[in-house]
Amino acid sequence: MSISELEFQAKSVEETPGLAIEGRSQWWLTWRRLRRDKLAVAAMIVIVLIALCAILAPVFASLTGHGPAQVFPNIGVTADGLPVGPGATFWLGTDNLGHDLFVRIMYGAQVSLFVGVVTTLIATAAGVSIGLISGYFGGWVDGILARVVDSVLAFPYIILALSLAVVFGPSLTIVIAVISFFSWAGIARVVRGQTLSLKEKEYIEAARSLGSGPWRIMFIDILPNLMAPVLVLATLNIPAAIVFEATLDYLGLGVQPPTASWGNILADAQSFYQEAWWFLVFPALALVITTVAFNLLGDGVRDAMDPRTERVFAAGRGRKRRKLAKPGGGPSSQYPDPPRQPSPGGV
Amino acid sequence: MSETSPSADARAGLDGTDALVRVDNLVKYFPVKGGGLVSRTVAHVQAVDGVSLTIGRGQTIGLVGETGCGKSTLARCIAGLIPVTSGTVTFEGHNITNLPRRRMQPYRREIQMIFQDPYGSLNPRRRVGSIIGDPFAVHKTATGGERKKAVQELMERVGLNPEHFNRYPAEFSGGQRQRIGVARALALKPKLIICDEPVSALDVSIQAQVLNLLADLQQDFGLSYLFIAHDLEVVRHVSDSVIVMYLGRVAEAGPRDPVYDAPRHPYTNALLSAAPAADPDAAAQRQRIILTGDVPSPINPPAGCRFHPRCPKAQERCGQEIPPLEVKPGDPATHVTSCHFPVSEGEVLARAGRTAGRPQR
Repeated sequence: MSISELEFQAKSVEETPGLAIEGRSQWWLTWRRLRRDKLAVAAMIVIVLIALCAILAPVFASLTGHGPAQVFPNIGVTADGLPVGPGATFWLGTDNLGHDLFVRIMYGAQVSLFVGVVTTLIATAAGVSIGLISGYFGGWVDGILARVVDSVLAFPYIILALSLAVVFGPSLTIVIAVISFFSWAGIARVVRGQTLSLKEKEYIEAARSLGSGPWRIMFIDILPNLMAPVLVLATLNIPAAIVFEATLDYLGLGVQPPTASWGNILADAQSFYQEAWWFLVFPALALVITTVAFNLLGDGVRDAMDPRTERVFAAGRGRKRRKLAKPGGGPSSQYPDPPRQPSPGGV
Repeated sequence: MSETSPSADARAGLDGTDALVRVDNLVKYFPVKGGGLVSRTVAHVQAVDGVSLTIGRGQTIGLVGETGCGKSTLARCIAGLIPVTSGTVTFEGHNITNLPRRRMQPYRREIQMIFQDPYGSLNPRRRVGSIIGDPFAVHKTATGGERKKAVQELMERVGLNPEHFNRYPAEFSGGQRQRIGVARALALKPKLIICDEPVSALDVSIQAQVLNLLADLQQDFGLSYLFIAHDLEVVRHVSDSVIVMYLGRVAEAGPRDPVYDAPRHPYTNALLSAAPAADPDAAAQRQRIILTGDVPSPINPPAGCRFHPRCPKAQERCGQEIPPLEVKPGDPATHVTSCHFPVSEGEVLARAGRTAGRPQR
């Protein structure tokens, strides 16, 4: 190949606009990596199905003709007063009062998802704000906020929930308040640590030299760099909140019958499961599937956000990525910087 | 308004009548916290210790010195990014030393910075249009379509494709990123731009492009530059006046040519002799002064002249008396040196000292 040929080729590459590097945002790259993670995709599908169940719960109710709080004393309970097993009328059986268990589990998904998402939104907003303020301002502000975080993390939550339920009476609001109160501190701690390192970056100094105030720097310059770890923490917070909510219901501190929730179905089931396995197994299964799906999605998001996994994927060893992950690499191992170069190869 | 041919005073960098910025006896100490349960200050890093200088309108002042000599700290004090321990910074006659943020705001528009690291100084999560438009947003000078138009004009002015405003910094090369930094600094039409080693992270060919861009912009906008670098040739190329710093103090300062052609301070001589020369014949002939030892710690700097432990000409007096910054006999009135035993022209320093280095080769 002659030199002029080479020159010609080099020129044609330069001049072809189609070969120019395409603008790839961090989210686009993350989404592409996430799509290749079969486990995460499966988890997403499961979550969508559960959400559909929750949204379509009234449809299921009219389909079966059984309301969530409707009692069937004649056909829903045996002559001995025991629950009826799964069958054509009651797909997943009934409970001891003669409710349709299937319909109640669908309605329970509403409570679980609602509490999981709402508490996570509240906890994330609070945790991010407090973490940013604590890390950015430092000094005595940080001293006070860090001690608050420590005390919240050290607080026995069941005792607080019990006393609040005694004072205010059990309700969904109390459940949401208690779960939010115990969820923000972990997020705040991670955000604070990231902020401490991000605020030393030169672009923060550049922002200050332009005259940006502390709030603008925190929320416009630092926060976008925190989105990766925050998203992972939030995704992993949802299943924790769902389990927390079920625990409170189980203890009778949360959602009260006749409103259905997985926690209070499980609480009712404990005296009947020896005669009626379905009473315990189906709501427990719903809880397990939901939390596992959210946890798997959270893991997938974490892997997809971390540019280091890109290299493992590129080397064709994607299946081993979890073993290769940094030991003890929790959310704190998150890389705030995007990959310097767009990933090689197409989708 | 801005003179392109400087008056003798303004050129000095140390005193001037048409001064844009005056720095008087600026001191910046960083506390060193001791260990233990309750941290207390056990010592101070004397980063800048009594520096005075003047930046004239339309002038470029070069600031040179080794790593850790306080160049960047001085720049950040002038830009108001870190509080000053003592001394004053005056901008157009207004004292702007340690102003609270809101009252500093109008002066922020006049004093901008270009940073050393073209990777670190741009937020990786923000699009270039948003980065360059940030000054407009902060100072609320332009919004919406107006801002976008201004940003695209700036991008065009610094040699970037205005269509690329939607890209992220990671999609640009080092030289292009430094242009983004220049565009951001230019956005508010400042009078002074502090360039903190703006080209030291770039390839030599790219360095020239960025330096030429800075020179063009200076002509077009009548900018003043405080140009920090450790590359002596770069400073010689861009500066009207030069200030040589050593361990937080000014060693020598003056108009470019006298300082480069007839350096008086032994430290300046050593720096100049250490710089690589492009001409191999000249390089072979040159006598190199090898400084022994490291730069002393700024926590506990040497008494007297701070350079004396490494100076080939040092005598007893140097360790006791701080040499005043003054005009040495035979120098122009704006060329000042802080040395008890200034080097005379033609003097061969390498043989004069007790820790004499040998000529190379």
